[in-house]
Amino acid sequence: MKKTLVVFAHPYLEHSNSNVELINFYVRHQHYTLRDLYEEYPDFHIAAFRERKRLANYDRFVFQFPLIWFGMPPLLRLWIDEVFDRDWLQPGKNNPLENKEVYILITTGGKERSFSKTGTYEYTVDELISGLIVSLKVFKADIKHIKIVYEANKLSKKEIILHKKEFTELLNQ
Amino acid sequence: MESSLAMNTLLFLGVAIIMVPLARKFGLSSVIGYILGGIIIGPYVLRLTGNNVNDIMHASEFGVIMLLFLVGLELEPRKFWDMRKKIMGLGLTQMVLTISLLFVIFISVGWRVDKAVAVAMCFALSSTAIVLQTLQEKNSFKTTAGEASFSTLLFQDISVIPILAILPIIANYKAKHHDNEIQILIQKLPEWLQAGTVIIGVALLILLGRYVFVPFLRYVSKSGMTELLTASSLFLVIGVSELMIVIGLSPALGAFLAGVMLANSEFRHELEAQINPFKGLLLAVFFVSVGSTINFNIIQQDPLFIFSTVFAVVTVKFIVLYAIGKFFRIDTPQSLFYAFALSQVGEFAFVLINYASDLYLLSPELNAQLMAVTAITMCITPILLIVNDKFITPKFIKEIPEEEHDFNILDSDVSQKKIIIVGFGHFGSTVGRLLKANKMSATVLDRDSDRVKLLRSYGFKVYYGDATRIPILRAAGIEDAEILILCLDDPDDNKFIAELVREHYPGVKIFVRAKNRIDAYNYLNNGINHIYRETLGTAVDMAVDVLHEAGMRKYAARRLGQRFMAIDKASIRKLARAKDDDDIALFTTKEILQREEELLAYDNLNFDNKNWEGSSSADEEDEEESQD
Repeated sequence: MKKTLVVFAHPYLEHSNSNVELINFYVRHQHYTLRDLYEEYPDFHIAAFRERKRLANYDRFVFQFPLIWFGMPPLLRLWIDEVFDRDWLQPGKNNPLENKEVYILITTGGKERSFSKTGTYEYTVDELISGLIVSLKVFKADIKHIKIVYEANKLSKKEIILHKKEFTELLNQ
Repeated sequence: MESSLAMNTLLFLGVAIIMVPLARKFGLSSVIGYILGGIIIGPYVLRLTGNNVNDIMHASEFGVIMLLFLVGLELEPRKFWDMRKKIMGLGLTQMVLTISLLFVIFISVGWRVDKAVAVAMCFALSSTAIVLQTLQEKNSFKTTAGEASFSTLLFQDISVIPILAILPIIANYKAKHHDNEIQILIQKLPEWLQAGTVIIGVALLILLGRYVFVPFLRYVSKSGMTELLTASSLFLVIGVSELMIVIGLSPALGAFLAGVMLANSEFRHELEAQINPFKGLLLAVFFVSVGSTINFNIIQQDPLFIFSTVFAVVTVKFIVLYAIGKFFRIDTPQSLFYAFALSQVGEFAFVLINYASDLYLLSPELNAQLMAVTAITMCITPILLIVNDKFITPKFIKEIPEEEHDFNILDSDVSQKKIIIVGFGHFGSTVGRLLKANKMSATVLDRDSDRVKLLRSYGFKVYYGDATRIPILRAAGIEDAEILILCLDDPDDNKFIAELVREHYPGVKIFVRAKNRIDAYNYLNNGINHIYRETLGTAVDMAVDVLHEAGMRKYAARRLGQRFMAIDKASIRKLARAKDDDDIALFTTKEILQREEELLAYDNLNFDNKNWEGSSSADEEDEEESQD
């Protein structure tokens, strides 16, 4: 069992059935720690030192968030700004992300075909969250999989549970 | 053994004190304890009670009146009006069906028609005292069964009046046939007026409730004397019931209506707190006297008759009630509870049976037997309810499907918790307004009667009451409250209430306003974690603005301000723990200064970036670990 830190950011969780359903899995399993950023830092004051220390304790990371205006939620962006530290790359320093597995789960209300070169939005989801991907790569993290749930607000509970199953199977490999 | 009223009362209370904790220990309802106690001191076992048990019983029926007053206090007029259909529907069907079924049974065993009607009517009533006491103990007033029971009981209480009127008519009917003319003067009023009394009485009570009670209580509360409030509460309840007796209405009904009229007033919780102990005492004495009136000699003489009657009555009542519950679409477990709870014969039967004997409807021997039947059915109810709880209901409660058990992160946030706010001055009202703006209702207690009046005129649900007294808190519902918010001006009062509540109701989460740092240390050492120093936030805001004015960018200043708050809150916890054993309340000014100095030194240490990250994060991490 890999000790896994789930960094979860959703500014309007009370209005999202899909994310409520998707996160209940982590809570039921001991080796997952769910950090609900919007619950923990409601005033956007992130205790960076604490977060950095915490990262070192985990073998694997999950980032889960909805797309907000074609980007990641602002608090997650701020979390990266505050927590990620260039010093980690200095020789002799411990880099808490090095060679750690990372899974990313993104929900969006848009349709799959809208997020393509020829679609309405012209950019893919990967491109829109490239800030996160590149940052992780800079710290030599091992991005295993990026799962995107499209039209998340229109899915039935059954369909969401299927997505959850698919994602948890990936994690349990 | 001849004994005085006081001696009897002493005996009753004594046996209650011994038996009730015993009953509670075995998980039984307190009612069983009281009744068993009554049997023990009664004429059959210890022969301690004298002849005036009936007097005591009569006096303690006042407990039922107070109980109904308290029930009325819980019921706002609007809610009462909403219940009218339920009261009529459930109550009327129950009375009519039970009376007819019992009548048929009595006739079939060869009773005279008049006797059968009279007894059927007496036995159709259920016991308000036992049922309401049980509902209160189980905290199930708000369940469907609780509401149904209550509606039915209310209708029964009202129907005592027509029954009292019908009984002499039946008696006359018999008198005519036997040419045995006995004139009994039963009602003081001419018959055409009797129908009107209900309307007159209710109208009078509404007027009194609107224009007299509340200004009267406000006037008394201004004097600030607790004992005067006790006196006026008692005065109110006794006054109303006496008034009802004069008019010719049931005093219990009058007290109930007076309660309903006061349910909207700011004195609701204060009145509850004042009346509750008296009600408890009187009811206890009442239950004990029920136990002690059971005449075992009579039972011994004809056990077959007594027990078959008990069985027939309870079964008929149960079947009727269960059928009604089902008919009104109450689900099975609730219908079962409703049917079991109301399956006994009520205390009004004692009165009615005696009255019927006075009218020569019943022979003295039958009178004693019926009294015994009534008392036995009352004793059985708590036992039946336990059987229902333990063996019958569990069979009907379906397994809740697994999905329901799923963790839901929102459950805890959105659901309405029971919140009590104490103190509604500038601080408390800010808290209350923010809650209200987000549709969170809270029970608010304040002890400034002028402020209460003012706030109520703006539509706030504020109650008058001194929350440093546990009965007031209990009346405000501290027992099932989840959050208590203490916002009084006087830190000593806040502290006192916090300690009181932690001692008696450790499950309640306390949020407390603290004057200053010293206050905060004190709460922390008492295990209270939600502390709000009234000066901290505003002072930090001010400092942040000053930093900006002195040339710092606003965002940088705000970040520093937030960091300062985080460190300050952490440091106060640390320093409180470090000096755990001192009594901080006894600090001299010099010591307070010393403490402030320590804090400044600690700040210097922490604001040095390296130290802050190192030392402080280590503590934080410790706490985190223990929580995870």
